[in-house]
Amino acid sequence: MIAAFDQAAGWLQEALLLPMLFGLGLMEWEDVSFGWALFAVYGAAQVSVTFAICVPLEQWRPVEQWANGRAVLVDVFYTLISRIGILPLVTFVAFYKLQVMLNGAIADQGWVPPTLERLIPALLGHQVVTFILYIIILDFADYWKHRLSHVFDWWYALHAVHHAQRQMTFWSDDRNHLLDDIIGFIWQTAIALLIGIPPMQFPLLILVLRFLESLSHANARLSFGWLGERLLVSPRFHRAHHGLTAAGYDSLNYGAILPWWDMLFRTADFNRSFVATGDPTAEEALATGSYIAQHSASLRRMVRELTR
Amino acid sequence: MRRLFLLLFSLALPAAAHAAGAVLVMNSGEASLSVIDMSTRQELRRIPVLREPHHTMLTPDRKELLVGDTVGNEVLVFDPNSFELKRRIPIADPYQIGFSPDAKYFVVNALARAQVDLYDPVTFKLIKRFPLKSMPSHMAFAPDSSAVFITLQGTAKLAAIDLKALTVRWIADTGPAPAGVLWNRGKLLVANMGSDDVWVLDPATGKTERKFRTGKGAHQLFPSPDGKLIYVNNRIESTAVVLDSTTLNQIRSYKLPGGPDDIEFAPDGKVWFTLRFVHKTAVLDPATGSIETISVGRSPHGIFLNSKATPK
Repeated sequence: MIAAFDQAAGWLQEALLLPMLFGLGLMEWEDVSFGWALFAVYGAAQVSVTFAICVPLEQWRPVEQWANGRAVLVDVFYTLISRIGILPLVTFVAFYKLQVMLNGAIADQGWVPPTLERLIPALLGHQVVTFILYIIILDFADYWKHRLSHVFDWWYALHAVHHAQRQMTFWSDDRNHLLDDIIGFIWQTAIALLIGIPPMQFPLLILVLRFLESLSHANARLSFGWLGERLLVSPRFHRAHHGLTAAGYDSLNYGAILPWWDMLFRTADFNRSFVATGDPTAEEALATGSYIAQHSASLRRMVRELTR
Repeated sequence: MRRLFLLLFSLALPAAAHAAGAVLVMNSGEASLSVIDMSTRQELRRIPVLREPHHTMLTPDRKELLVGDTVGNEVLVFDPNSFELKRRIPIADPYQIGFSPDAKYFVVNALARAQVDLYDPVTFKLIKRFPLKSMPSHMAFAPDSSAVFITLQGTAKLAAIDLKALTVRWIADTGPAPAGVLWNRGKLLVANMGSDDVWVLDPATGKTERKFRTGKGAHQLFPSPDGKLIYVNNRIESTAVVLDSTTLNQIRSYKLPGGPDDIEFAPDGKVWFTLRFVHKTAVLDPATGSIETISVGRSPHGIFLNSKATPK
């Protein structure tokens, strides 16, 4: 399967991107464009797999049914630009440059730039184990980023875009304010620079993880059972986080992939079942407005919070 | 006697096949090196590395093989016969690496950091850094070690660094996105990836003397072992063009889909290519034009061939 995806990325690069770069006089970016081609193909695969599984699931066991699902359309747009479009390109280029510059400066001093494999030499040569450890560490970092985004009012003003959706579906995972995404990127980059981040060594694993994140937002009555819900974040568990009473400061179930951190820091609630979602404090534009309307309403709210 | 000879010959065959050597391929897109058996054309194993291996170079005494891991910020030192990892050296962004012919300098093009670093080739201590905008890509040395010439992919320039005075001697214009650079019979050849041509420059002044077409996306230039031919890989046209190194006239052209990049020449006359976008290594028989491909890791870039290697 990996070979098929890689072939598709190779075709995209050779048949479309390279001639385009050549025509635009930007051939110096051909290496970077191939990195983006891989991200785009795997992103498209993520969206397709998620679509193929979540759509039947949402039709089979929906939590809610809506006469008009127009509010979901904007989430589709968020997903496409986040997973296939410009964001992977920007983050790829920015992170790559930053990592090379900072770690290069460390190497200049004769030190070895930090990586998990350097910290635990036994990991060298065991890429799958190492990669899973990276995922655990990054998920832990994400838990705290997410939790803090509910603590600071100005930050929650941005994060409210994600919570305002009353028609939550698997598309809602990527419904984030651009500024919120940038803060998340800086947060993850800081962690990545501390422990190093392997490149796309295991794209299928990334695909599975991103699928789980989308699935946790699905409009589906789906639980992983008593044990399963304590191992991986389920739609039932994460829906509680999007509940009307969980918006803002007093929230719960912050975990994205692993519920372990919620259990450890006592923010887990396994009892709430398939609650209604949304943020009663958010203005209507955040819930049903266009992409631009959501972004501007959220920015205005952030400014109000900062100048209060 | 004839039967005995045939028996001995057939017994000797497997050993001969085993001694046919191995190839090491740098899979820049998935942090590994592929080891390929030259005789069976089978990938024997993958050696995990830290992040992003690109190019490789033998030490001047040919006893060690260096592999640059750019994002890992280290140079890996291998035994060129067994492909066993011997040690790791912290080096900032080692994209393209090379030793001056007099073995006085180890030169590192740090493409992402826009700098060229000169290191002591024994201690690997930094001697001098040349910030050069931007994207220092490939390098070629003057045979007398008086200078190293660096293509600056991001600014369409070629820089000449004086290795005696340790200064930048000149920076000259090239075509767009220059990549490969080669010293050929007292001249410099620069392949311009952003166009379809190779420029011929005077190494003393950097002045362009002539230009000739090879194909869209002219990327890298490789002299054949006997010095009579030059192979030019064209990225957009997906071709390898063979030039007469004296006249620079085109002799042949081979179609190589998949993003041809680095080349190694085998003693049997075959030419090994990395194909960046299809995750394969291609083996071209120049006599017949036939091409055989071997699957390797993602985005294979640098390649090292040792017909006497016995990898473990």
